[in-house]
Amino acid sequence: MVNKSVMVVGGGIAGIQASLDLANRGYKVYLVERSPSIGGRMAQLDKTFPTMDCSMCILAPKMIECSHHHNVQLLSYSEVKAVKGTTGDFVVTVLRKPRYVDITKCTGCNICAEHCPVEVPNEFDEQLGTRKAVYMPFPQAVPRAMTVDKNNCIECGLCIKMCQAGAVDLKQQPQEEDYNVGAIIVATGFDIFDASQIPTYGYGRYKNVVTSLELERLLCASGPTGGHLIRPSDGKIPRTIAFIQCVGSRDRRFGATYCSSICCKYSVKDAVLIKEHEPNTTVSIFYIDMRAFGRGFQEFVNRAKSEYGVRFVRSSPGEILEDPASKNLRIWYEDTVAGRIENAELDLVVLCPALIPSKGSGDLAKVLGAEVDQYGFFKAADLITSPVDTTVQGIFVCGYALGPKTGDIPDSIMQGSATAARVAEVLEGSA
Amino acid sequence: MPELGVELVDMKGANCCAPFSIQSVDYYSWLALAARDLCIAEEMGLDIMTLCNDCYESLLMVNNLLKKNPELKDKANQILSEVGKEYKGKVEVKNLVDVLYGDVGIDKVKNAIKEPIDGLRVGAQPGCHLTKPKRIHFELLRGFKELDELIQATGAESVPYERKEMCCGGPLRDINDDLSRSISREKLRALKDSEVQAIATVCPFCFLQLDLGQLEVKRHFNEEFNLPVVHFIELLRMGMGMKLEDWEIKSHRIPITDLFKGRL
Amino acid sequence: MSELDLNFMSDIAGTPRGNGILVCIQCGRCSSGCPVARLTSEHNPRRLMEMVILGLRKDVLSTQLPWYCLSCFTCLDRCPQGGDVGDVMFAIRNQAVKQGNMPAGVAAQAKALYETTRVINPIRSAIDKRASLGLGQLDNESLGDVQKILKRTGMDKLLPPT
Repeated sequence: MVNKSVMVVGGGIAGIQASLDLANRGYKVYLVERSPSIGGRMAQLDKTFPTMDCSMCILAPKMIECSHHHNVQLLSYSEVKAVKGTTGDFVVTVLRKPRYVDITKCTGCNICAEHCPVEVPNEFDEQLGTRKAVYMPFPQAVPRAMTVDKNNCIECGLCIKMCQAGAVDLKQQPQEEDYNVGAIIVATGFDIFDASQIPTYGYGRYKNVVTSLELERLLCASGPTGGHLIRPSDGKIPRTIAFIQCVGSRDRRFGATYCSSICCKYSVKDAVLIKEHEPNTTVSIFYIDMRAFGRGFQEFVNRAKSEYGVRFVRSSPGEILEDPASKNLRIWYEDTVAGRIENAELDLVVLCPALIPSKGSGDLAKVLGAEVDQYGFFKAADLITSPVDTTVQGIFVCGYALGPKTGDIPDSIMQGSATAARVAEVLEGSA
Repeated sequence: MPELGVELVDMKGANCCAPFSIQSVDYYSWLALAARDLCIAEEMGLDIMTLCNDCYESLLMVNNLLKKNPELKDKANQILSEVGKEYKGKVEVKNLVDVLYGDVGIDKVKNAIKEPIDGLRVGAQPGCHLTKPKRIHFELLRGFKELDELIQATGAESVPYERKEMCCGGPLRDINDDLSRSISREKLRALKDSEVQAIATVCPFCFLQLDLGQLEVKRHFNEEFNLPVVHFIELLRMGMGMKLEDWEIKSHRIPITDLFKGRL
Repeated sequence: MSELDLNFMSDIAGTPRGNGILVCIQCGRCSSGCPVARLTSEHNPRRLMEMVILGLRKDVLSTQLPWYCLSCFTCLDRCPQGGDVGDVMFAIRNQAVKQGNMPAGVAAQAKALYETTRVINPIRSAIDKRASLGLGQLDNESLGDVQKILKRTGMDKLLPPT
């Protein structure tokens, strides 16, 4: 009897793709996601390169499919705690964290959040905006339900009073549940390097030095500024913007010695986006190498130069300084092509940090018994013969959890499908 | 120093540590000369405390190189055998901040302060070799946090400023005086912009460059800063209630009498 | 521009402190932090690395270019490749000296080291001040040893003639 059920750990695009492929094949899929909603990083993006499609518009239909599919069970706000067994017969203990909201009753009407008196920084907006203690991480969240952040909740009871569906239940307890599955797929994605580890760039001290993910939230219509690009210190529209590539990546000082592979591409995309929003802005990209591989990307870079006037400067700036009065930034760099040391004053600087293994993925690897490489990404059992297998039989991995050899969103989707095919192959197998 | 429980013993027969200029001339000469000093300390059974950043960098780097690299150690010992010495790798190289912060301890320093220099805005100049290269000496570099804490222990405020890591320009003296002055001018400008009342150095070379250097900058560029420069030890002594000697006060090219009225 | 010596880079890489040159990707982060490069276009660590990589032996070793370095190690700190730029600068200077090139200031210090064990000797007024403060005379006890060492390493031959 083949156990045609799978647990997918990680509800980003790779995990979603793998889940749908398997569900469509008749597999029962348990999609585990530790945050209140699936969607992952793609939900945070404004537009994707090089087609400039709205990211959420491509993602949301897949998210909805997951939530409605009769073969997919969403285990949101949950984490994998223990694993026993082997291929065909794993027992996974999943911790169901308490939302303090009954998602069978909650309609996502948001009235509780409107009345909640507690405001805290919003993780989804990379701490740039705020949310309430009872919140939905973003408007298109799946499952469409609120979550109470008990750490910040003052238990005033207003949400309970206002909720017409009686969905708030502050007495919920964490539950551990066991699931018997035939295979496990890891799709835990990435986090970004903490740029404050490079003090000369001033991240964390200078308000107008932001990471690219923060920029995405500023550009996104669902973000803290409604899609208006304004700079953090004073809300003014930045007229001179610089992108600095390889912050932490390719850097032997910090362990992320690899190239994160998508930053050149997304910075050009963001530069073009900014120019479309505000054509009078000067946007410069400071790079060591411009790595625009694959179909359409070099052409995109060329268009960025010729049609949009994005400045490409081959230089890695050494430091950023701040003018304490205006909060403008000054970078010192050597234009290596011209051979001149120069400095430029900027309204906004965007750092493109290294992409590192998702927080907690190391613990997950230990729970699964899977090996990770020297950077902490899940190791493929063999790069040529089994590139989406982990070092544990029956456990597979896709997306950025595998590391930076993945390029961009289509690659993550491909890998999701690849793991789905592998699961089917292994479970239905040669028997 | 004796008040803080540190006994300083002169290294008899020590030679020049081989600073930047000599390192530029010949590598093995540098290794051997620095190693010879390390041997003298080994023979005395004591760790070295350097008072100058150039010496610190030179001795620290050679100590590390020889400890980590047996081939280099053999080569150095081959040369040292000519003078009857052998490097064994038994000593540590420390600088003033290391000793005060690490060995004496910040609490003991705090307790020794009898007349805190409250409210004095000080721009600390840790010097290049107490702050870089981080990649090689990371745990050992105490130019930032530790020096700031020591300054704060005396009651003064260590004012943050942009160019704290920047060089004073000293090493270019006699090689290109104009550049040397231009660099100290940049440094002084950064300090002035942060509205410090005095500069505290740890290295006598930085001291010279920023103190006497202000007169040179005035003469050559017609720019004045009037920023008194003190060596950190002087700050410490004043905080401990000791008086500076006459000759010490006079050796400051930028006068310190106004700023430290009553303490001198 | 002079002829290219294609062995120059590997020569430098083979000397102590020189092998960081092999990983240079010319990103410019070193020069963008260099305090001297900001003030004069004559000195530029990235360009110096470039000239070594290209093989411009004469231009690098026979000019003032490598000597305006402060040895402040800002470049080494910034290099993402672990290229030890500051160390490579020393390696370049070592080679320059072997070819008989060093600035007068450095030569004077080296000579002083050989003759008195100190690279800089106090001027008359300083000697008097020391005496008035009761600080002992500066000794040169180590002179014999220093000279033996410098003869053994061959540095005595690199010194300018008296």
